[in-house]
Amino acid sequence: MRQRESKATFWSALLVVLGIACILTPAIVLAAGGSGQGFDAIVRSIEVRYHAHATRIPFMGLISGIAGISTHGGVRGLHVAEFEHFRAGDEPDLNFDGAEFNALVEEHVGHGWQRMIRETGRGKEQTLIYVRQEGEHMGMLVVDLSGNDLDVVQLSVNPEHLMDEVSKHRHEHGRDHNADKDEDRDDLE
Amino acid sequence: MLALGMATVAMSAMGQDALPAPSPVEKALAEKASHVTEVTLDKNMLAFAAKFMDKEDEKDGTKEMIRNLKGVYVREYEFDKDNSYTAADLEALRKYIQTSEWSSMVKERSKSASEGTDVFVKLVNGQMEGLFVVDAEARELSLVLILGPIDVDKISSLGGTFGIPKDAVKSVKKAQKEAGK
Repeated sequence: MRQRESKATFWSALLVVLGIACILTPAIVLAAGGSGQGFDAIVRSIEVRYHAHATRIPFMGLISGIAGISTHGGVRGLHVAEFEHFRAGDEPDLNFDGAEFNALVEEHVGHGWQRMIRETGRGKEQTLIYVRQEGEHMGMLVVDLSGNDLDVVQLSVNPEHLMDEVSKHRHEHGRDHNADKDEDRDDLE
Repeated sequence: MLALGMATVAMSAMGQDALPAPSPVEKALAEKASHVTEVTLDKNMLAFAAKFMDKEDEKDGTKEMIRNLKGVYVREYEFDKDNSYTAADLEALRKYIQTSEWSSMVKERSKSASEGTDVFVKLVNGQMEGLFVVDAEARELSLVLILGPIDVDKISSLGGTFGIPKDAVKSVKKAQKEAGK
């Protein structure tokens, strides 16, 4: 009898805990969208602010690994999130507040990231490129909004490895890159 | 008084080779522009960005020059119609940079009052330690500020790099040629 009573108490306590968790989960998710830093925080904050849904590319870890192997460590840590049909609420595109969007990304980008490029156009046109030093690698975070398409991409690049690979490809394809460059320089002389 | 205070802060920052805070005029220009490009690279970012350059650039010393630069600041404003900026806007931009260390190298004016090119250089013991270009066209306005030791012979290699417009570099090369005559 006592055992049955303690079982009932256990189940009711569990139900209470689950109930509280169910009530609190949306609040926790929303709060997480407003705080935290880095790629995920940026994507979440955009989802929350603009009521949009990001499509994460499946098997990104695998793709990132393949990219690392094929570039001999030149590129790693790929993260991609894609928002299709991105709309800034019900407002017309021309009323899109680019400064607010920029501030939202800035708030969540995190420590060590510095904005290198910001390109803005009328309506929903904005490209933000952040970089940070990650040892021998350079971390790059790109937020590209073009009309209703928004992409957030993060990757880590080893410039020396990458340039070695690029120059190898140039030699293999017999492209005289220096001739192109000299032409450019002559044009400026 | 506030503007004077801001200018003083910016100038003292420039004296320490730090990239300047945007001038108040830039904000107004950005609001009027249909397309704005902002590129800001400090010393650390430039040193790292230099690693993305070719081995050929290492041989001719361009990579070394970029590694030693203290900052690159580029602003490009494109407008839908002519006369979106005024001569007063341009004058305010030019004045923002002018301290005793900076001197005018080129002052080119077209028929239109506002269009033209200005090149200012910062000379320290005869070495070029800074370059500021204001290139104003009918529907486009470019500001380029490069801080740090600059080798004028290698300046061509910066055109088209780090968002530095080729036209801005052309103006400097042209001025250099004329000074050599």
